Order: sequence, then C-alpha cells, then structure tokens
Amino acid sequence: MKKTNLIKRLFILCCGKGRHQLLRTSLFCIFLSLLAGILLLLLLGKNPLEAYRSILQGAGILPKPRYAGRKNQLTDFMSLLNYTTPMVFAALSVAVALKCGIFNICVSGIMVFSAFMATVLVGYSDLNPLVAKILVVLVGALSGALVGILIGYLKHRFNMNEVVVAIMLNYIISYVVSFFIQTRFIDPITRQSVAVGQNARLTLFDYPVGNLKMEIALVFPLALLAVFALKFMLDRTRFGFELKAVGSNSKASNYAGIQVGRAVVCTMLISGALAGLAGVSYYLGSNASIQPRVLPALGFDAIAVALLGNTSAIGSLFASLLVMIFDCGTTYMSSRMQVLREIAALITSILLLFSAIGIFFRNLADRFQQEAEEV
Amino acid sequence: MNTIIIEGLSFSLPLFIIAIGGIYSEGSGITNLALEGLLGFGAFFGGLSYAILSRTFGGDPTILIYASLGFAMVGGALLALLHALMCIKFKANQVISGVVINMLSVALTAFLANQINASFFGQPSNKFLLEVFPKATIPLLSRIPLLGAVFTDFYIFELIIISVALFMAYLLYKTPAGMHIRACGDNPHALAAAGGNVQKVRFWSVITSGALSGLGGMCFAYSISTTFSPNIYMGFGYLAIAAYIFGSWKIGPTFLACILFGFARSGGYVLVQKLKLPSSYGDLVLTLPYIVTLVLLLFFSSTNKPPRALGEVYDQAKR
Repeated sequence: MKKTNLIKRLFILCCGKGRHQLLRTSLFCIFLSLLAGILLLLLLGKNPLEAYRSILQGAGILPKPRYAGRKNQLTDFMSLLNYTTPMVFAALSVAVALKCGIFNICVSGIMVFSAFMATVLVGYSDLNPLVAKILVVLVGALSGALVGILIGYLKHRFNMNEVVVAIMLNYIISYVVSFFIQTRFIDPITRQSVAVGQNARLTLFDYPVGNLKMEIALVFPLALLAVFALKFMLDRTRFGFELKAVGSNSKASNYAGIQVGRAVVCTMLISGALAGLAGVSYYLGSNASIQPRVLPALGFDAIAVALLGNTSAIGSLFASLLVMIFDCGTTYMSSRMQVLREIAALITSILLLFSAIGIFFRNLADRFQQEAEEV
Repeated sequence: MNTIIIEGLSFSLPLFIIAIGGIYSEGSGITNLALEGLLGFGAFFGGLSYAILSRTFGGDPTILIYASLGFAMVGGALLALLHALMCIKFKANQVISGVVINMLSVALTAFLANQINASFFGQPSNKFLLEVFPKATIPLLSRIPLLGAVFTDFYIFELIIISVALFMAYLLYKTPAGMHIRACGDNPHALAAAGGNVQKVRFWSVITSGALSGLGGMCFAYSISTTFSPNIYMGFGYLAIAAYIFGSWKIGPTFLACILFGFARSGGYVLVQKLKLPSSYGDLVLTLPYIVTLVLLLFFSSTNKPPRALGEVYDQAKR
C-alpha cells in the first residue's frame, strides 16, 4: 500500500466511509468553522480561546466569574433553552420538508403568520392562563399547517416551484401582517404590536425557583417530544417511508403506487405546523410582540441548522443547540471583549457554508480512500 | 402621472439589470437564489469604495459616484465567485448554496460595515453615506405629453443600465458566447460534444450575474436612500427572481415584468397619497408585485419553460 500523506489520511478519518460518516463530516465542518472563527478573532487582535470561553460562559455551559443577584449558571442555561426552543421547531420544519425533497424557505413567513393569528385571537384575551397557553399552541400549529398545505397543494397541483411560492408568500405575509399591525395593534412607543398578556406567554420570566429567578420555556418539552415523534415517524412508520421515497425519487415512488401528491401535501402540513409552533414560541415566548415588516432571521438560519444536522430529527436538535450557544453566548462575549456582536451571525454563516459543501468533503474523502486502496 | 413614470422607472431599471444577471446565471444552468445577497454585497462594496475614495482624494464627487458603480460590480462578482465555486467546483446543492450566500452576505456586510466604521472612520454606525446621483432632463423630448416624463428628471444611471442591458441582450442572443451560455442551460452535453467547456461557461455566467446584481444593488442604494445600510436587503433580489420567472427566462418579457412591478409600486404609492390614506396602506401596495406573480404563475407555470438543465450538477459521465 502506498504511503498516503498524513493530511489525506486524517481527512479520510474525518469524512471517509464507515460508521457515522454523516456525523463525522458535520463535526469536521464545525471544526473548520471554529478554525475560521479563530482566524477572524486573531485578525481583530483578540484572544480566540478567551473569546470562545466567554461564549460558553454566556450561554451557561461554563460558570462565569461572577453573577448578578439571584442569577447563576442554571439561569443562563435555562435562558439558552428558552431561545433554542423556536430554533428546534424551525429546524425540524425545514428538515422534514427536505426529507420529502421540498425546500421550505417559507418558515419565516409562517412564523410571522401563526404568531400574528395567535396574538390576535388569544394574546389579547383574558382567558385563564392554562387555557390561553394551550390555545396559543393550537392556533399556532393550525395556522402554520394551513400555509404549509397551501404550498404543498400549489406545488403538487399546479407544478409551481415551491421556492418561488415560498418567497412570494414570505413577503405577502410580512407586508399584510405589517399593515394590520400598523393600523390596529400598534404600540406607539415601541413601534411594534401591542405586547400580549402574561396569560398567553409560553415562557415564564423571572419565575422564582428556590432563591433564583429564571426563564422557563414551557414548550421546550413539546419541542423534545416533536424531535422524537418525528424520528419515530421517519424511521418506523409507513408514511415516513413514503415521504422519504418521494424525496429520493418521486417518479419511482409514483410507479410503486405511492400517492405522491398526498405525501407532498401531508409533509408540508407537518412542516407548516412545526414552523407555526416555532412562530408562537418565538413571538409569544422569548418575545412578546411582533415587529412589523421584519421577517425573523431565525427562519432562514433554521435551513442551515437543519443541514448541519443532516436533516435528521436528532441532528437538528443538537445543531440548534450549537448555533444558539453561539447566538446567546456572543452577547456576553462582545461586552467582555469589545468584539462586535455581529460576529456570531458571521461565524454561523461560515458554518453553514461548510455544511453546504459537506457532500464535497465526503466525495473527496472517498476518492482519497480509493486512491489509497488502489495503489 | 409624471411621478408614477419617473419613480417607476428608477425602480424598474435596477430591478431589470439584476434580473438580467439572474437570466445569465440560470440560463447557463446554475440556479441563482443568491441575487439578494449579491446585490447587497455589491452595494456594500460600492459604498465602502466611495467612503474610502472620498476621504483620500476628496474633490469632485461625480467621478467617484461613477467609480463606485464599477466597484459595486467588482464586489458583486467577488461574492458570485463563491457561489460559482460552491455550485460548480464543490457540487453543493445550488438552492442551498444560494440561501447560504444570502445569509453570509447579510452577516458579512453588517459585521464589516460596523467594524470598518468603528476602526477606520471612528464612528459607531453601520452605514456609508453617499452623494445624490446626478439627474438629467433631455430638453426637447421631455416636452412630449405623457411620454416626456420618461426623459424628465431621470438618474444618469438609468442610461448606464439601459446601455448595459442592450449589450447583455446582444451578447446573449446574437453572439456565439451567448449561444454557448444558453446551450449550457438546456443541454450541457451537447455543448461539451461541440467542444465547449461547460464548467467555464457556467463559471463566467455566474460571475456576470454577480457583477450585474452589484450594479443594480448600487443603483438601489443611490436611488432609495443615498446611503449603504442593511436596509438594502429589502427583498429586491427575490423580486428580480420573480421578474425573470414571470418573463420566462427571456430578457424582453422580463423587461416588461420589471416595468409592471415598478409602475405597480409607484402607482400604488401615488394612489395612497391621492386618496389621503395613512402611510401604512403603502404596505398593501408593496404586496402587489408578489401577488401578481403568484396568480400569474398559477396560470402560466405549465407553459413556463425554465432552462432544461437548470439546477443540475453537470456530470460528464452522465448520458
């Protein structure tokens, strides 16, 4: 066997064939982007290790040197979970659609739509908190599912490109919702919609636990449940199989007797409902109001997160956690080290860039492996 | 009426040149959802070059304004280079690459604009101030009733855009190079059999689309706000995509689509003003182009013919 050079062998080890190839490639991409982040921080003249440690400290993974009153590492971590919840839903929404070969970039639009519906229908009422919260979740999921079905139906029935439809819907929803907010529900001071009542919020703020005050994301368990339900559906049920079959080759699936249209519409129903849940847990959870004319960046970030998680349910969960650690931790890091806050978005998008070419890394590693074996 | 035409044209033409960029890229078979990011990065690059040049040389801003258009094209092309590499060399999914480029562009410009303003110009801001683009009126033609508005008070960049657009249309439809580009999008294997280099043609098409988008983005920056700021990401790139899909990937019909979008927008604004409605009704006007596109696609998507090899990774071994 020819002596292949060390770098090639290491690379094969990272992305080559074998167990957990997808996972290893993802980890390799994360490593590359962390490396890029280090270079960037060095260019700015900051200590990269110190910066990364502050990010972890800010996100509640490592303890900070000192805390404000009634806060500690646990409260930071709970707040991380609170911000992660919508991301998990959004990433699942993108992932399940991608499994069926549909590229759902309407997540942002659906988020705004479902949150607006929930805000208007439930958010301003004075219902009993328990009923209100359950209604918010239901309204969010239902209105999201409706938009999802619309996209799926247009794609199947009229053969319209779902990406184009999604883009158009994003802007239509954004402007129409903005119109209603600005004419009916505007808060003149914040220039956002009037904040929803505490009874409808899906996050409890400053909730006393022991002598601490923490944020509790009530729907985080629901997000975990969604992860496992989706995994079960994709791996173990007939519908999950049909969905994946349509995703890999819709013509062959049609020939095999799978109802392609039904699979597409049902997938978009699930994807839309998940995006709707992301919307309510974002706008009625960590935030309380909707900013008119702004599509949440989270909906687009979710695409990358789902890709990083190899469009699997469990993968999306961990990828969301990773990206949100960056996002939450950077506030603390930027205030401690005088680095601009925008660097978090930059590192995240570099991460996405690398995960988009994961397939190239895998192919390259396979080729190196073949070369090594042939000679 | 005059306002509708003047405002409408100053919106339609930058949109048109971005859409031509999209036609070049997609015509060669590379899906380009990155137009939004490309136009933003082009405008950033143009704005930055203007800020630097005006501080170092000072003097007459007119030359700098034209120079900044050139730099914007360079900037758009630079980011397009990344898209080309991802799609052609690294064989990434073209749609996903486009979305990632958009995100990268937003993140990168926000970061760089803040950082550069803070460390070089000593001011905490995410904007670059620009000058007002010079306007012109053609003496005799502008007297023609109704049509005269086309020749009144137009930005000079509209002339530049029209000449570039004519040149690009000539290049695409009347020259061998254009023939190669279109062949790449419809049947890359035929081009390869005829001795062309598919990868190379696609590469340059994507770069061209970046340069054109950068030019369009810079014109938007001048006409809408006379600053470069993150507000440049208003979805004009996506609107350009809608325009060329609407125009069925052909330059002529795309021009009409852009004019329609521009006039629907300016007409709506004038209507809102005339009826003395509160300004929030402007939001409803803004949805018009998108709704029109959706409805028209509903009827025409069966007859709409995208390039046949659009979005497919070129694989020489494939039949």
